[in-house]
Amino acid sequence: MSDRKIFSVVGIFDSAQHLMNAIPDIRKRVNAPLEAYTPYPVEGLDKLLGHRKSPVGGMVLVMGIIGALSALGFELWTSGRDYPQVTAGKPLFSWEAFVPIMFEVTVLFAAFTAGLGMLLLLNRLPMFRHPMLRSSSLPLVTRDRFALAVEARGAEIDVEKITRLLQEFGAKSVEVVEEPAPAGVASPKFFLRTLTAIGIVCILAGFITYWTMKLFPIVKPMVHMLDQPRLNPQSPSRYFSDGSGMRMPVSGTVARGSVPYTIRNQELAGDLVNPLYRTETVLRQGRQAYMNNCSVCHGVLGDGKTSLTKAYGAKPANLVSQSIAGLPDGKLYHVIVAGKNAMASYSAELGEDERWATVHYLRVLQRAANARDEDIPK
Amino acid sequence: MNKQPGVRGMGADRKLIVLAGAGLVGIVVSWIVSGGERFWANWILWFLFLLTIGLGSLFIVALEHVVGARWSIPLRRVPERLSSLVLIVAPIALLALLSLDSLYSWTSPEALANPIIAGKRPWLNVPFFIARVIACLLLWGLAWWILVRGSIKQDKTRDARFNLRARRFAPLFMIIFGITITIVAFDWISSMEPEWYSDIFGVYIFAGTFLAGLAATTLALLYLQSRGRLKDITRDHMYNLGGFLFAFTVFWSYIGFAQYMLMWYANIPEEVFWYQERIEGAWGPILLGLAVFHFLVPFFLLIPRDAKRDPRFLFWTAAIMLFSHWLDLYWMIFPVLDLGPLFGLPEISFSILFVSAALLWIRFSMTRGADMPAGDPLLSEGLEFRL
Repeated sequence: MSDRKIFSVVGIFDSAQHLMNAIPDIRKRVNAPLEAYTPYPVEGLDKLLGHRKSPVGGMVLVMGIIGALSALGFELWTSGRDYPQVTAGKPLFSWEAFVPIMFEVTVLFAAFTAGLGMLLLLNRLPMFRHPMLRSSSLPLVTRDRFALAVEARGAEIDVEKITRLLQEFGAKSVEVVEEPAPAGVASPKFFLRTLTAIGIVCILAGFITYWTMKLFPIVKPMVHMLDQPRLNPQSPSRYFSDGSGMRMPVSGTVARGSVPYTIRNQELAGDLVNPLYRTETVLRQGRQAYMNNCSVCHGVLGDGKTSLTKAYGAKPANLVSQSIAGLPDGKLYHVIVAGKNAMASYSAELGEDERWATVHYLRVLQRAANARDEDIPK
Repeated sequence: MNKQPGVRGMGADRKLIVLAGAGLVGIVVSWIVSGGERFWANWILWFLFLLTIGLGSLFIVALEHVVGARWSIPLRRVPERLSSLVLIVAPIALLALLSLDSLYSWTSPEALANPIIAGKRPWLNVPFFIARVIACLLLWGLAWWILVRGSIKQDKTRDARFNLRARRFAPLFMIIFGITITIVAFDWISSMEPEWYSDIFGVYIFAGTFLAGLAATTLALLYLQSRGRLKDITRDHMYNLGGFLFAFTVFWSYIGFAQYMLMWYANIPEEVFWYQERIEGAWGPILLGLAVFHFLVPFFLLIPRDAKRDPRFLFWTAAIMLFSHWLDLYWMIFPVLDLGPLFGLPEISFSILFVSAALLWIRFSMTRGADMPAGDPLLSEGLEFRL
């Protein structure tokens, strides 16, 4: 006998009845887990062996409920909170639309729990070969014998006492099954290490791909929105008889809510009065419009200094300079609507209120650039 | 199994006859008091309730022959006896034809003004409707004759050729069943709202039918066991029945929700009006009750392994499911009256009449044959079934 650890002591019985008769007596005398090996399913064996109900069922139920709730939570958050978008006139919280995904995620969670729970928990997956597979008892079991194993499960067991007991209660022969020798290359540890290595390689490959695409944009990722069939502004189209892709407004009509701007000259616009009060809401609206449309060229502070200035050699106006700060509201408004020098008209991007709010915000920037002592909060 | 203790206790029969008589008086009074439309709605409801139990039971019998199941042979006589309901519904169905004028608006000549109904005219016309009803009744009678009567005869003859004949006929019956159950769904229920479209409706009714057959089989089996009969049927057999009940509760809910969700999403007038009529007002709580008692309650009750093996527990779960099936039919049929959910004298007297008449008929069908298909050569294999 070698000095390897003992896995179990196995007794071979001649019939299922012999086996069933022996189990209660042996259970009474031995305080160790029992396992039976039979050539066909023997009814009532589970109960005799004192095996508890499999925990997988309960795990599947809990994980299924968790799956349903997490799907519901995720859907509530995405479509009701993070990106609320009305689809087909349905309410944001439309449980009907959520149910199929909840169903799928429930099944996914439950099925994975059942599969992995069975493999890892009950069948102890990283263990490739059960020690019984190498015993000389198993070939007998696959023919016509019945085996009862008293398992050590890591603890010390009294081999001689158990051997005696098994023989006393009808075992024809007894075999001591040892834990397998430390496995070579194909060990469970190797298996786990390989899995970990594959995981690390996958994560690294993801990062490398991401940064390659970001730093060396040779391959464009996910450009489906750019590649779709569409008409760019000013592009020709054979669809319309005049060959132009853009359409003129229907003659004699005005878009709803818009007031036609008829002033052609910046000098004449000086008389216009800003219709908005300088409230906090208006200033916030103005800052939003400025940040989105103006700050790219004129700078976040309005001083006309941005990276674009260097890259393209353009010289956007310094909006906080004395000369521009001295202009009346109407003249600034006119520039937003009509454009000036290299600057295009922003009448399409900004509505009437937004333009006036932007003008108010310009005054804030100008005041900030020339702040007086009393402006500094104490 | 060999002994037949008091198959026809005359006391019970007499009580049922008295009850049926009282129900009969009740429905006559309700015709006079509440009028014909409500009478016929009740009539159709109970006709379909008994039909779905009988047809579902016949389907269980045929399913066993198709797949060659052994475990269900010892309890096959229970669905076989329940399936005799497909015979008693024949006169009920023929009388129900009298309801065409009051409940089925497509029969009136004015309905043709509606282009949708006019387009369905090749299918929805009275002669063809009657022909379909009679054809269905004949086909079910034929299937009963081959599958059930042959099985009862086998008790005495012990002729194994019956098994071969049933095995050959059962697949054909599956096709007949699929077509006729769809015809039942479209003709008797969905044509009450002739503008409505739903392709999946036949499958929905099939799910309810199979579930009704299973629930009635479970109830009858457990009742007989409590009376000391069919003692050889074990908890492992019950576990299988419970598993079937569980699976088809989910199937019914899946189909029901699929129909609802597609119509809710598309929101097309000729589809959604059907649901609108059945959600508005007091119908809303009933639909909710359907979701709770036809799906949630049986689903969670039947999850544990032991629940499917406990006779008392299984009995009450099956009772809930059979009631929910009745409620399902009620929820589909009664909104046609446009009066909201009704439950009064007509409904109570119809329940008494049809339940007692159906029980009488089943008790009568129990006078022939043993409690188990004693002549089936595979019976002993079925008795040995263990999980």
